[in-house]
Amino acid sequence: MTIFAFVLVAFMLLVYVLLDGYDLGVAAAMPLVARTERERAATMSAIGPFWNGNEVWLIAAAAVLFALFPKAYASAFSGFYLPFILVLWLLMARGIAMEVRGHFPSSIWHEFWDTAFWLGSALLIVIFGIALGNLLRGLPLDPDGYFMGTFAYLLNPYAILVGLFAVEVLVEHGLLFLVLRVDGALAGRARRFSLWLSHASVVGYIAVTAATFAVRGLAMARWPLAAVAIASLASLVALRICILRKRDGAAFLASCAFIATLLTEAAATLFPYLLPAPLGQGGISVYDVQPNPVALVTAIVSTVVGLCVLGVYAPFAMRRMLGKVRVEE
Amino acid sequence: MDAVLADRLQFAFTVMFHYLFPIGTMGLAPFIAWYTLRAARGDGQAANAARFWTKIFAINFAVGVVTGIPLEFQFGTNWAAFSSKAGAVVGQPLAMEGVYAFFLESVFLGVLLYGGHAVSTRLRGIAAVVVCAGAWLSGLFIVCTDAWMQHPVGYALAADGRVELRSIAAVLLSTFAWWQYAHVLVGALVSGGFIVAGVGAYYLLAQRDEVLGQRFVRDGTIVALAFSLLAVFPTGDRNGADITRWQPVKLAAMEGLFRSQPGAPLAIIGMPDVNARTLIDPIYVPRLLSYLAYGNWGANVRGVSAYPAAIVPPIELTYYAYHVMVGLGTIFVGVAVLAAVLLALGRLYLARGALWALMLAMPFPYIANEAGWVVTEVGRQPWIVYGVMRTSDAGSSTVAAGETLFTLIGFAGMYFVLGVLVLYLVLREIVTGPRAET
Ligand code: HDD
Ligand code: HEM
Ligand code: HEM
Repeated sequence: MTIFAFVLVAFMLLVYVLLDGYDLGVAAAMPLVARTERERAATMSAIGPFWNGNEVWLIAAAAVLFALFPKAYASAFSGFYLPFILVLWLLMARGIAMEVRGHFPSSIWHEFWDTAFWLGSALLIVIFGIALGNLLRGLPLDPDGYFMGTFAYLLNPYAILVGLFAVEVLVEHGLLFLVLRVDGALAGRARRFSLWLSHASVVGYIAVTAATFAVRGLAMARWPLAAVAIASLASLVALRICILRKRDGAAFLASCAFIATLLTEAAATLFPYLLPAPLGQGGISVYDVQPNPVALVTAIVSTVVGLCVLGVYAPFAMRRMLGKVRVEE
Repeated sequence: MDAVLADRLQFAFTVMFHYLFPIGTMGLAPFIAWYTLRAARGDGQAANAARFWTKIFAINFAVGVVTGIPLEFQFGTNWAAFSSKAGAVVGQPLAMEGVYAFFLESVFLGVLLYGGHAVSTRLRGIAAVVVCAGAWLSGLFIVCTDAWMQHPVGYALAADGRVELRSIAAVLLSTFAWWQYAHVLVGALVSGGFIVAGVGAYYLLAQRDEVLGQRFVRDGTIVALAFSLLAVFPTGDRNGADITRWQPVKLAAMEGLFRSQPGAPLAIIGMPDVNARTLIDPIYVPRLLSYLAYGNWGANVRGVSAYPAAIVPPIELTYYAYHVMVGLGTIFVGVAVLAAVLLALGRLYLARGALWALMLAMPFPYIANEAGWVVTEVGRQPWIVYGVMRTSDAGSSTVAAGETLFTLIGFAGMYFVLGVLVLYLVLREIVTGPRAET
């Protein structure tokens, strides 16, 4: 049951990264690909119908984490107080930007909210990446699982590397989504950039993997994960082929597969710890923080049933929102 | 400053700001569902009305989302001891809210807003009804969470002081929770009614959009009347009865009753003097409190003094908030009855005085709702989970008061900007008015 609970939380976070990942990525890619006012507006409209629902995955995943591992929720969120509040403010800034940008026909107004939109999104990705990097590297914890280090501790070179890799991967992911949603020169540019970035993905993947071995030590490597690593590389190859053949939908799916393998590796590396101490010195494991069995089973059952119901209606409803945003008259 | 005081201030500020938006969504959703369903039957005016209110709903919804996320995070950031000890129960309805209600609402709102011509009018109608169900369902789950903190059920205490879940059914089906929810929903619908009627009154007074203006005034008045009455009876009355039974010291604070007495009077107005333990310049209705609380004119009602000081909530705030809510509730009944009588006589659309009253009434249901929550939450003190866990033991050991004050100031700044923007956007929609599809 506990293992299943871990898998459930990891699954919901994965879906969150796949979904909100593309809208954060589209936003972070805006200064890269959108040249004109029309294109910037179209870039924002491309994710308009989706970002809100995608963000619900964050809310739901956090709430499910709360129900399944309350103590971990408490120590992680209070231990990293300022970073979490920063995430909130950035989420707010970009949400407001999307809500209000279109309501006022002024280029200064647009410029201000465009910047809040892409900068806020890019920073969010960096922070999420740094957080993941620090989890993989391990954290100094007191016996109750509260973080004992400082803000500066979190900004170590390994975590920053993971943060930058996260930006690269999600911008790529966002560009591939943008190709599906817009037409004209904007779509062409997005496709071109995504092809270039796919090189960076290969380099970044190798660099991050090597760095992970370096900070965690080879002794802690889990060799069966080599199979997942092969799947990562295979999905990158597939991604390039699909972009070259202009199979845009398939390219986006390949990017999803790539991210899924990355996060599977990360989750499998962490298990059974939710907050690991550095270098195999234990940490807060799922077994330390689960609630009583009735609560665990209740939360698992209600969440699984709820997600199944969602699986029925969401595709039905989403089908009606696809289609392209027209950029050119 | 005490760290928990800073946590309380931050939570109070952010939740009170957040709640402004669910009031709008829960209160307007049924109007949107109704107009969308009429539109599906070929009523063109209703289609314009539905589109107009959906735009305002969408603004409320988006702000509800961005201000809701900080609340959920705060349970972890600022209330770590509470979350880790009570999370086995409190986490359940919160997780369900996310998985069942928020997804439903956001997916189908997407269909309404972005479906465009790919969506038949019939499907739009269904989507509007589902959005309404989603908004009401999120209210239900969150109120179940709060109701459990007010009146914990379905749990057991472990040896280490942690709360364990025994039965989720007991938590979700507690009658305390459902009466609280009924009152919350009614409060939102009172607001919805007065908003729709108020916007309609503005159009009539400004002599524009008169066809829809009349319709808004009529529909809003009917809803405002029905739910103003329901706010008093049975839902307000039942909430009062639950408080009398489960949290009698809160009742004493709400009513400003210091000394226990048989045949206790109801204070209509008066200012509590906590040191002298009396009300200043009160106006009493003799014996009414005994009757309202126990259904018996002579019953003994225990006053604040009958309880140990350590479990008495802040009296002034609880007292004033309660009197503001009830006073406004009475005024709402008055305004709604007046408007309904004029409506029945066919004179409302020309009665400028009544239209002005409806228009100016718009902000007050918000105040009544917020005041009601202040009664509930401040009156719960010093407990965070009534009788089980004290607020002073619930904070985060690693977060200092200074850190929370810093973020509170940040939230204040962001919410000020957000508030100005929302007000501007909503007023602009109202001034633009309901328009046919272009
Ligand atoms: C338009 C809004 C509105 C109006 C007109 C009223 N209320 Fe109310 N009231 C609320 C909106 C509200 C609320 C915001 O929805 C609260 C806060 C928490 C809750 O459960 O409902 C609330 C709480 C609340 C509580 C506290 C419940 C608790 O502590 O758990 C009581 C005893 C009452 N109400 C009673 C009344 C009475 C007797 C009213 C008669 C006039 C009344 N309310 C009008
Ligand atoms: C939206 C309506 C709500 C409003 C306006 C509101 C208002 C408040 C206020 C004013 C306080 C501060 C009380 C004090 O410290 O004296 C407070 C505290 C708190 N409320 Fe609420 N509340 C609302 C709903 C909820 C709900 C639904 C929950 C539970 C899910 C909740 C949980 C809490 C918690 C955990 C605290 C902090 C601990 C405490 O001070 O007791 N509130 N709220
Ligand atoms: C401690 C208190 C609260 C927490 C933790 C909380 C949490 C949240 C969150 C995370 C969202 C965003 C969901 C989305 O993406 O759709 C949200 C929105 C919402 N909340 Fe709250 N909320 C609180 C108080 C309340 C109360 C008291 C109510 C109503 C009774 C309420 C009703 C809603 C509704 C209806 C929405 C949907 C969005 C909207 O309609 O504005 N919330 N809330």
